Amino acid sequence: MSSIIELRAFMDLADLFRERNWPSPLEVDIRGEMTGAQLLAMLDIRPEQVEVVFVNGRAFTPPTAVLTGGDRVALVPPGVPGPYRVLLGFKKLD
Amino acid sequence: MGKFIRVDMTSKEVKIGECPEKYAGLAGRGLTSSFVADEVKPTCHPLGKNNKLIFAPGFLTGTSAANSGRLSCGAKSPLTGGIKESNTGGTFSQKMAKMGIKAIVFEGIPAEDKYFVVKVTMNGVTIDEAPAETVGMGNYDAIKILQQKYGEKVGVAIIGPAGEMRLSAANISFADRESNIRSAGRGGLGAVMGSKKIKAVVIDDTGAPGVTIANPEAFKSAAKRFAKALTTHPVCQGLGRYGTDVLVNILNEAGGLPTENFRRGRNEWANNIGGETMTATIEARGGKPTHGCHAGCVIQCSQHYVDKKGKYITGGFEYETIWALGANAKINDLDIIAYADREFDEAGVDSIDCAVAVGLAMESGIIPWGDGKAALELIKEIRKGTPLGRILGCGADAVGRIYGLSRVPVVKGQAIPAYDPRAVKGEGLTYATTAMGADHTAGYAVATNILKVGGFVDPLKKEGQVELSRNLQIATAAVDSTGMCLFIAFAILDIPDGFNALVDMINAQYGLSLTGDDVAALGKSILKAERGFNQRAGFTNAADRLPEFFEEECPPHNVTWEFTGEEIDEVMNF
Repeated sequence: MSSIIELRAFMDLADLFRERNWPSPLEVDIRGEMTGAQLLAMLDIRPEQVEVVFVNGRAFTPPTAVLTGGDRVALVPPGVPGPYRVLLGFKKLD
Repeated sequence: MGKFIRVDMTSKEVKIGECPEKYAGLAGRGLTSSFVADEVKPTCHPLGKNNKLIFAPGFLTGTSAANSGRLSCGAKSPLTGGIKESNTGGTFSQKMAKMGIKAIVFEGIPAEDKYFVVKVTMNGVTIDEAPAETVGMGNYDAIKILQQKYGEKVGVAIIGPAGEMRLSAANISFADRESNIRSAGRGGLGAVMGSKKIKAVVIDDTGAPGVTIANPEAFKSAAKRFAKALTTHPVCQGLGRYGTDVLVNILNEAGGLPTENFRRGRNEWANNIGGETMTATIEARGGKPTHGCHAGCVIQCSQHYVDKKGKYITGGFEYETIWALGANAKINDLDIIAYADREFDEAGVDSIDCAVAVGLAMESGIIPWGDGKAALELIKEIRKGTPLGRILGCGADAVGRIYGLSRVPVVKGQAIPAYDPRAVKGEGLTYATTAMGADHTAGYAVATNILKVGGFVDPLKKEGQVELSRNLQIATAAVDSTGMCLFIAFAILDIPDGFNALVDMINAQYGLSLTGDDVAALGKSILKAERGFNQRAGFTNAADRLPEFFEEECPPHNVTWEFTGEEIDEVMNF
């Protein structure tokens, strides 16, 4: 089974991809399974730069996102407007 | 208490009186909806003599509070047949508030077959015959002519050719500080203004006394806290940099970006039309990537989108319009979408309803899917007043009916915007239940003090969505009464002091002692007034349903709309 994920990034993280000359989507070999937080560490992206990791269209916080080969993954920084951070499950309501 | 102005277009009589006591504690949407519910016969024809059009600034409009310059416009909607509040930026609202005007009401219908300009100044209100050349003219040039005649800085509310033709998706356009266009877009209020033969309302605030603040020091302090909550939040940077179009890639990734008339929730070209590409294009061409729709905006989500030579095409280029043409109608070309947005503004139509209608024109085979040039030519038909243009200018529901379509994304006759209700279920409940017809802005703010659900909401599941949609609608109705832009919602949600500062500003301005619970109660009372009007107009719970085709699966998540009628009806059960 492939251990490659397809990674996209939005908003200012898209700029980061461009600065590093990464294509979008970027193919990343995660060598098995890892969390979103581990992916960020591997890619040298600071945790505070990412609010949500989409995995196959579902939103997770970076530590709770579990990635496996073949996944479609996207990084979303803080700053998504409107009620969508609630409606799409980005924001934990107290 | 503020002036309450009534302009009777039948007799041309103007009455300037004190605001009635019952409306003293209301503003913005709270005032327009209460007024329409009180004074407009619910069963009246929306384009007939018994409909009334009302403009009202919010509680905080005209003050130094950040983002407080929005205007509410209300009437019975010719698009939905129900109550309508449509909200806009521009300069009009702040001028009204600074002049001490609580509301302007336009009623009656003139016998003459000609158009008028209503002029509002500190000396009173006059009704002139409209300059002949403005009739049938696109809105950009017509605004210039009116500002040449009445003063460079006057606020302008105007209908375009679509409003003159009383098309049911006609909007009211408002000049911004650069004489570009903002719109009270939804629900066909431009047709109501056109039925009253009002081509434009101009407002000159020369000599205006400004807004009185009961407790200036407390206001200043709260306004500072509020502005800090906005400017320190990441959303402020995201919206400012990429505009609302930032949502294209997000919704596409979430599988909720309706594509090809809601056949799927994701497409391969989304990034080409998304906010990141839009901003990069504007920057490369020397346009303005950030711009505020009214003075005092600290978010600056608007922009000036320019052509390859750097010439302005359009501004206020919103996610929902770009989605409707770029994803739903598959036009993979941001420049053509910008020209289409410009043409919607020139004609004076709602760029959501008419852009969804373009997708239906493709669905019915009038033009091919994704053909941007053909779409632009079709949109130009609206201004020309051809039969097909008039159909398109009456919105998605009209195109669906006339071309015999069953896949028509509307609720109460109003087009469903850019969030697939199957993949963003809370949004779907708001589309179904708001009195406004499908409207994403009806559920925009979350007031955590009245929210009964906790944890993360799963957008693909039903759990917690009824409570969330209810809460969103209650909080939004209250925010819509403040004159605040709805994008302040993030500050209310994430920063407790943001919400407190909002309430504190209202208290300091009016010498009140409202609490967060009072604000929630206001929101509830507005929703009840709006729903009551619709019920008296003949609406039942059966109108609170999504179109049947949402029972189909929506890829990539292959989810369906599975709420029962009883579950949907719980949203408004409070």
